[in-house]
Amino acid sequence: MLNINNIYKNFEDLKVLKGVSTEIKEGEVVSIIGASGSGKSTLLRCMNLLEVPTFGEVWMEGKLLTPVDPYLHREVIEASNTYKKLVAGGIAPDEAIAKIKAEDLLNEKFSSAEGKEYKALIKKIYNENHLDINLARQKMGMVFQQFNLFNNKTVKENIMLAPIKTRTEKIKKAKIENALTKCLNLFRKEKKPLVEITETKAQIVAEAEAKAIELLKRIGLEEKADVYPSTLSGGQKQRIAIVRALAMNPDVMLFDEPTSALDPEMIGEVLDLMKDLAKEGMTMVIVTHEMGFAREVSDRVLFVDEGYIKEDASPEEIFRNPQDPRLKDFLSKVL
Amino acid sequence: MYLITLFEDMGKIFVKYWDLFLIEGLTATILLSLMTVVFGTVFGAVLALVKIGRIKVLKWIVNAVVEVIRGTPMLLQLYISTFLIPVIIPAMNELENKKLICISLTLILNSAAYVSEIIRSGIEAVDKGQTEAARSLGLNGTTTMTNIVLPQAVKNILPALGNEFITVIKETSLASTFYVGELMTTYHIIVGKTHNSLPILMIIGIVYFILNFVLSKALGAFERRMKAHA
Repeated sequence: MLNINNIYKNFEDLKVLKGVSTEIKEGEVVSIIGASGSGKSTLLRCMNLLEVPTFGEVWMEGKLLTPVDPYLHREVIEASNTYKKLVAGGIAPDEAIAKIKAEDLLNEKFSSAEGKEYKALIKKIYNENHLDINLARQKMGMVFQQFNLFNNKTVKENIMLAPIKTRTEKIKKAKIENALTKCLNLFRKEKKPLVEITETKAQIVAEAEAKAIELLKRIGLEEKADVYPSTLSGGQKQRIAIVRALAMNPDVMLFDEPTSALDPEMIGEVLDLMKDLAKEGMTMVIVTHEMGFAREVSDRVLFVDEGYIKEDASPEEIFRNPQDPRLKDFLSKVL
Repeated sequence: MYLITLFEDMGKIFVKYWDLFLIEGLTATILLSLMTVVFGTVFGAVLALVKIGRIKVLKWIVNAVVEVIRGTPMLLQLYISTFLIPVIIPAMNELENKKLICISLTLILNSAAYVSEIIRSGIEAVDKGQTEAARSLGLNGTTTMTNIVLPQAVKNILPALGNEFITVIKETSLASTFYVGELMTTYHIIVGKTHNSLPILMIIGIVYFILNFVLSKALGAFERRMKAHA
């Protein structure tokens, strides 16, 4: 489902992630735990590119979301001038590749310095595998610590906005494309067929509205459909933020400390909704401080510390039998 | 004793020249300010978009221009432009009201510089989480801007824009140096006939004050209403 491949993230001089790799499988619930500032939120935000990784690649359902990282493709390194020079200088191929990786020898900034073959190969890999990030995000819901409901929209509009906009934009695009083909068809002998537009805007709006009402009923807030977010409690806001993401029928949901900004008595309602989702088989990645919750719902727990995944194991192993000394220390403080 | 004569003179002058003050002067001032603010806002919005945009070279140029405009006196800018613009665009010399055009352009550019700052800070004051939430749902940058960020930014921008309008009304008085016919110019016209400065200045002051006072009260009421709806 999601493949995180050797991710590095620097903010100016601050190195937050220092080479993180992991895979999120379909239907899996993965919790990310760790101290404040350990990089766990950054890791989550790198998954949908709200933070663009400095190096490394993110893959979703076999599609590449980030630019190509040459160090992760052996054939790309082999096409580079640096590698050719090293090999010509008498270094064994495997050693040369290890040396290039270890010493960061590829000239990425001025990629023409690595030769045409290298550039063409990167372009080819990118074109074959790349998926537009906006399309990818439509299949990746995200829930934030601060809820981030749209203040200028009612609850219902909050939920309907993305489904309506993303689909109407497709229609708009198709219409423009059709107009262009029509114009060009005037000069063509063999007429090109037009793109079929099967839905109207009214249909899309009606569907989105039905879905929004259904989702609000599910969380028992249908009477709040037409109020503005500022009148809601934190727990209500967060549950609405979750169904807003669900309205796009995502394949995976990312949760960034969803209960950290809530009053204690409201945490339960949000966690219950998340548990329901997990039971339904939703793929979920959850950054959380709620250890009990992580232990209960997760299939796997990642302990992130100092920019690395220090431990990656089942919740039983993490909480019963932690190996990493930093994890032991962390658990002794929070449990 | 002198005050009484002053009031008497003010009355006499106002009765005799009221049309110069209220019809020609006031109308010209309001039109000039309105035009400045409207075009200044449009142009300022473009500058603001450049400022928050990604093109570094344009950003640098716009920032430099804005800093120069904000760092030099308005009167100086008016003088320079009335000399400089006809040199740059020779065709201007044949126009009848070239001075008015030069001055309008300067007022607009000046206002745009300030408005661009108002709009930029208004947009940047919208919580970053709003943009992130919209983008995380797969909406593109343009849709996010027009549906989420701008509607919220307007609430920050409009009150400051009203204040800018009041500032511009006062600043147009500087244009009287070039006799363009706004309220302050009427002073030069009437004083040439009556040779009595103070009463005229007092009348003009009162007109300016009433205009701006009414405007700022109206803006205040508008702002309160907007806050109540937020």
